[in-house]
Amino acid sequence: MARSSVPASSAPTPPSTPPEPATGAGGLSAKGLSAGSVGLLGVTVIGISCIAPAYTLTASLGPTVAAVGTQMPGIFVVGFLPMLLVALGYRELNNAMPDAGTSFTWASRAFGPWLGWMGGWGLIVATVVVLSNLAGVAVDFLYLMLAQLFGNPGLADLAGNVWINILTCLVFIAAACYISYRGMEATKMVQYVLVAFQLVVLLWFSIAALMHVVNGTAFDALGFSVDWFNPFLAPSFSAFAAGVSLSIFIYWGWDVTLTMNEETKNPQTTPGRAATLTVAIIFALYILVSVSVLMFSGVGTGELGMGNEDIQGNVFAALAGPVMGPFAILMSLAVLSSSAASLQSTFVGPARTMLAMGHYRAFPARFAAISPRFKSPGFATIIAGVVAWGFYAVMRVLSTDVLTDTILTLGIMICFYYGVTAFACVWFFRREVFTSVRAFLLKLLAPLLGGAILAVIFVTTLIDSTDPAYGSGSEIGGIGLVFILAVVLFVAGIVLMLIMRAVDPAFFRGNTLTKGASRDKR
Amino acid sequence: MTRVPNYVVAYEATPQGRDALELGTAMARLTRAELRICLVLQRAGGVPAKIYATSSDFEALLAKQAEQWLADALALVPTDVTATTHLLWADSTSEGLIQAVADLESDRLVVGAARGGILNRFTIGSVANALLHASPVPVALAPRGYKAGVQLTRITCALGTRTGWEALLDSLAAFTEGLTIDLRFVTLVEVDAAHEKHSAVADSAAHLDTVLTYHQRHARGGGVITTEVGTGTGVEAAVEALDWRPDEIAFVGSSRLAAPNRIFLGVTAHRMLHALPVPLVVVPATPARS
Repeated sequence: MARSSVPASSAPTPPSTPPEPATGAGGLSAKGLSAGSVGLLGVTVIGISCIAPAYTLTASLGPTVAAVGTQMPGIFVVGFLPMLLVALGYRELNNAMPDAGTSFTWASRAFGPWLGWMGGWGLIVATVVVLSNLAGVAVDFLYLMLAQLFGNPGLADLAGNVWINILTCLVFIAAACYISYRGMEATKMVQYVLVAFQLVVLLWFSIAALMHVVNGTAFDALGFSVDWFNPFLAPSFSAFAAGVSLSIFIYWGWDVTLTMNEETKNPQTTPGRAATLTVAIIFALYILVSVSVLMFSGVGTGELGMGNEDIQGNVFAALAGPVMGPFAILMSLAVLSSSAASLQSTFVGPARTMLAMGHYRAFPARFAAISPRFKSPGFATIIAGVVAWGFYAVMRVLSTDVLTDTILTLGIMICFYYGVTAFACVWFFRREVFTSVRAFLLKLLAPLLGGAILAVIFVTTLIDSTDPAYGSGSEIGGIGLVFILAVVLFVAGIVLMLIMRAVDPAFFRGNTLTKGASRDKR
Repeated sequence: MTRVPNYVVAYEATPQGRDALELGTAMARLTRAELRICLVLQRAGGVPAKIYATSSDFEALLAKQAEQWLADALALVPTDVTATTHLLWADSTSEGLIQAVADLESDRLVVGAARGGILNRFTIGSVANALLHASPVPVALAPRGYKAGVQLTRITCALGTRTGWEALLDSLAAFTEGLTIDLRFVTLVEVDAAHEKHSAVADSAAHLDTVLTYHQRHARGGGVITTEVGTGTGVEAAVEALDWRPDEIAFVGSSRLAAPNRIFLGVTAHRMLHALPVPLVVVPATPARS
């Protein structure tokens, strides 16, 4: 009897394989019954929930003030520039290689296996670090919220107990990992509510802080100054570099809006408009919050001063109570929900990258396993969870301020993999950058400039972080913990890469993912 | 030339998926139908995370893996049954399957029902459950670890006395047209005390006569036709009181709550599932196709 296999969908094929003939059957739609379903508001909401402003601000305000003091609002403004430049390059790569989806595939295609591998590694490491930070913030706010709920401040101190902290973190990571493994996603309505809630609470917080300033009840009122918006008044170039590195972290996730093409109702205009709207909202919010925090707390090292190292890793945990009074529990809820939701969704990225690396034999084949029931990258997801928790546990023991140190390490890692991707863009399009003004601007100038800024920031912060006083002041053998951490993570990557090369050289010989440039004949 | 019926098999590379394929194969062989083995993938979509995770890379690899799963499934189908494979993208598995039924003009949907149940009986999984309350065509549920014999030899049709049983009989007649297969019409009677038993059983037996007459007027097929009344203290016990062959399947109608042309698993049918050792086909309120 006749038997035939009719693939009813023409799913994209990876770059290394020739496209299969599309033999659609029965008019079944290929990808996506929901294609084109997301409008301007939807993409903007997704953009804001990617950034997770409540979590981002509580984690980054302290380290930024530590680096640049009152210049924080100005740094937040200029810090957006490299992000914008790199994101423009990202979009070009995404349009040119729609089958690829990560720094790993892009960098491998542009630069070949070695840098491609390290680009993927940079992304995975950055994720592991941010996962541990997210979980850490969630743990702090969980106990803070319990304390507020039961009116028992003693409960908040439980987060300070290393073992309770590490075990609670394990629970958070395991739950997030499980949800990702099940392939479950937050529904649109949940996203809308979370985003609206974060925005309302942050506005509330800012206005309440300003009211305290006006009423003279602020902790250490600092008069507003226009100079705060001048980033070049930062104490030193090192401080400036550290500030920009942190600003990249605060806008991290914004680039997702630019690349949401397929899902949008009008792919020509919606992503661009949504990206603009998202950044306008985020800009306004960050400026408002940073100015009001500076005016309320000052930059001193007093109990609630932004210069106090004890509160820098998690600013809202310390400030929400004095600023918002009994309503501080709303802030706890906002940050907790924002970091828990982000924790869960952040598992997806590294798991998919590891899956792709497993598939192209850059990682052991087990990473390519897809759960037949949940259709998720099962093994990779579990590994991401185990490593993130292990990393957090080690850091919690080694560092006096795990949140500050992980955020600073994270800045370095993001600079690295964004930089690699930016240069990958320039190199991949090298044959066509002079064909039009648009190509010149978007495929050469923007990513080149963005990549160059990131490279300078990367080198500067890496050198500065050798100072034992950098970050939380944790050190090993007189060298700053942040530097050691970054170097260990990079060296571990190189070692693993060499081991992988020895065990299975196919990827490194270019057998699975070929190097190329745009306009190559494939 | 008459139309060749086709059945959508809700496949996934799991024991449940293989149960569905096993049942689909047995039913297709019986009725000389073709199989449309469908694997539904959910759109990965934009994930609101800081890490740039476009779905494209992952979707390409997922699709590749899914094609492999489908190829493996096709290899499980015996050569005397015609089967095609289809990879679909949808927001949810049940939506994708219902869309597939419409696009492929399928006559029924076969799904592995069990999810972590005990003792080889039915515990309805979420996909099967969604289909059982929305499908426009009959849904066949394969019990956990289902193994079909060489040939299905009997169909048991469980009927209530309320209105709507004609729809079930029409669907059954369409399914068995021209086939030689034994038919058994049963009613399930719940009895809590001995003295009520006789009247209820008598009513059921009378109803079965009506059913038999209706069936003989409308159906064209061969095979031995029997009737039986299952009694017990509950639906489960009534089901267990009947004998079940390993190579038979059961038919049941939809609840009166069902929208026209949609199936909706009724309370009694749901309770039947707890005790039923054979596959169950749930038929829409009014037949989707004549």
